[in-house]
Amino acid sequence: MKPKVAFFDFSSCEGCQLAILNCEDILLDILNLVDLVEFRMALTETAPRYDVAFVEGSIHRDEDIERILDIRARSTYLVALGACACIGNVQARSNFVAPAVNYGEIYGEEARNRVQVDPDYWDLWSHTRVRPIDAIVKVDAYLRGCPIVPREFLHLVKSLLQGTQPFFPPNAVCVDCKMNENECVLERGLTCMGPVTWGGCDSICINSGYVCDGCRGTLPHANVEAHIELMREHNIDDRDIRSRYRLFMGAEPIGRGV
Amino acid sequence: MSYYLATKKELIDWIQRLAAENQLYFPEKHGEASYRFNRVGPKSEIQFDRYIPTVVPPVKLLVPAREELLRFRTDAEGKTEVQPSLDTSFRVIAGVRSCDLKGISLMDLFFKDGVPDAYYLARRENTAIIGYSCNTPCDESAFCAAVDSLDHTEGADVYVTPVKEGDLLVEVKTSLGEKLTAGVDWKKCEDPEARRIGAVTARPEPFGRSFPAPLPDTMKIVADKYQSAVWEKHVKRCFSCGTCNLVCPTCYCFDVVDDLNLDAASGNRSRSWDGCMLPHFAEVSGGHNFRAEPAARQRHRVNRKFTYLPEKYEHGAVCVGCGRCGRQCTSHIDIFDIVTDLIQEGSR
Repeated sequence: MKPKVAFFDFSSCEGCQLAILNCEDILLDILNLVDLVEFRMALTETAPRYDVAFVEGSIHRDEDIERILDIRARSTYLVALGACACIGNVQARSNFVAPAVNYGEIYGEEARNRVQVDPDYWDLWSHTRVRPIDAIVKVDAYLRGCPIVPREFLHLVKSLLQGTQPFFPPNAVCVDCKMNENECVLERGLTCMGPVTWGGCDSICINSGYVCDGCRGTLPHANVEAHIELMREHNIDDRDIRSRYRLFMGAEPIGRGV
Repeated sequence: MSYYLATKKELIDWIQRLAAENQLYFPEKHGEASYRFNRVGPKSEIQFDRYIPTVVPPVKLLVPAREELLRFRTDAEGKTEVQPSLDTSFRVIAGVRSCDLKGISLMDLFFKDGVPDAYYLARRENTAIIGYSCNTPCDESAFCAAVDSLDHTEGADVYVTPVKEGDLLVEVKTSLGEKLTAGVDWKKCEDPEARRIGAVTARPEPFGRSFPAPLPDTMKIVADKYQSAVWEKHVKRCFSCGTCNLVCPTCYCFDVVDDLNLDAASGNRSRSWDGCMLPHFAEVSGGHNFRAEPAARQRHRVNRKFTYLPEKYEHGAVCVGCGRCGRQCTSHIDIFDIVTDLIQEGSR
């Protein structure tokens, strides 16, 4: 029997699911080997149990918690799909600002007060509790990045179909950068999150002339202290350093700590 | 062996002629202050004067960052066919400095040891190398003289030394070199040794950085300092990002993976660079990691260059002093500083 596969999303742009739909050259071969039972973006059916659930998006509201618990209970293997599900992503920046402050800034004093006194707006406070899905449920595999790397998706799918252990080396983005012979952007005085960030992305941003923003999350062995010290040596002030750590990593322990 | 005296223009014209007929690689400016060994095309700039060691050493052309080793396919009867993916295309690497020449000579030694590495040798045997001697240290990171690689010429088919009066002494060292220089109309050089000595003695002294102890003593001190506070000192700033391994001309470790296609009958085997500073490098089945701490990994790496491999191959230091690891380390951890600290720790 073909394994039953489902896709779900929480707070996200659904770009990672789109990235999967974009794997056109191999997608039909995969679909011959699995039974796709739920995929809001491409399918209307639903199913009671899943062998593999791919979950995109971050957790904000109590309803999200109930739903992710339900998905977990019905899934044998659960994959966090993309930066929102893995680390919370950019929306976790709202963890550091009260909704009333945002409303006040955009809609004025009256709106600021309304958000605080009108119970219809209290749900907004859930956006100060943006969490990755592993804050609620056990995750069996992480497909990192904003968006995910199709090669890693394929590696995971093949490993699951072939019964082998998927492996994503816990190496910094610097490894990808060196393999691509990039000039180190830190040497040019730019702030790069590469030394503390999970690699495997082929350093695509640096190859294209940008820096690493850390969308794949901090490495388990990340030497954050040294990284902050290094940025200070490059005359980057602490406010900017904090902002860099909270761009993608705001919901991670390190993003909360800096 | 033939000796010529060529002008800079004659040499560059020759390299461009070779590049028109062959895959030729030369250090090309890249980014703000870096160089890469790039394939030379009609518009590439060939210049020898401004140079610091490339981001990645030229040995990348012999062991690429990622390479397919073989393809396999099992047919309906269960017979498996294996097709090795050997690269035997001819190429020329030009502008290779002595540090990198020594790196390649050492790689020859490592990859021929035990079961010779067919993939490395297929490329190596089809590669011509044009070396170039350094008159001045490339920058303040280099310490090639301290590890005896400043005048390394072995491995080059043609070796070029800038001599006095703006001439270049061209030594043709192998029959492949003779083939590459066939038909050149350069002036024959009658007194190559005198010219070479002239160039060598005109160099600054000391040439680049030098250790506070002679090399044999330095190597003995590194070996004796298995327990030392120095191993904890520099790694405070270490990200375990493996840059020092990946840019090293004598780091050869790789990881091999099999990739089975969705048909479960065909696939390929490939290898990619690995490095002993990476946290999972010494992790084994079951999860035990023999060098879980960065200090243990750094000690291992430094000893590989100054103790383990020199002992195994009865060779001098396996560090060529190119300075890449220190230059490119995001935290500026420099193997030269580590070794210097080990030497000075004993004398205090």
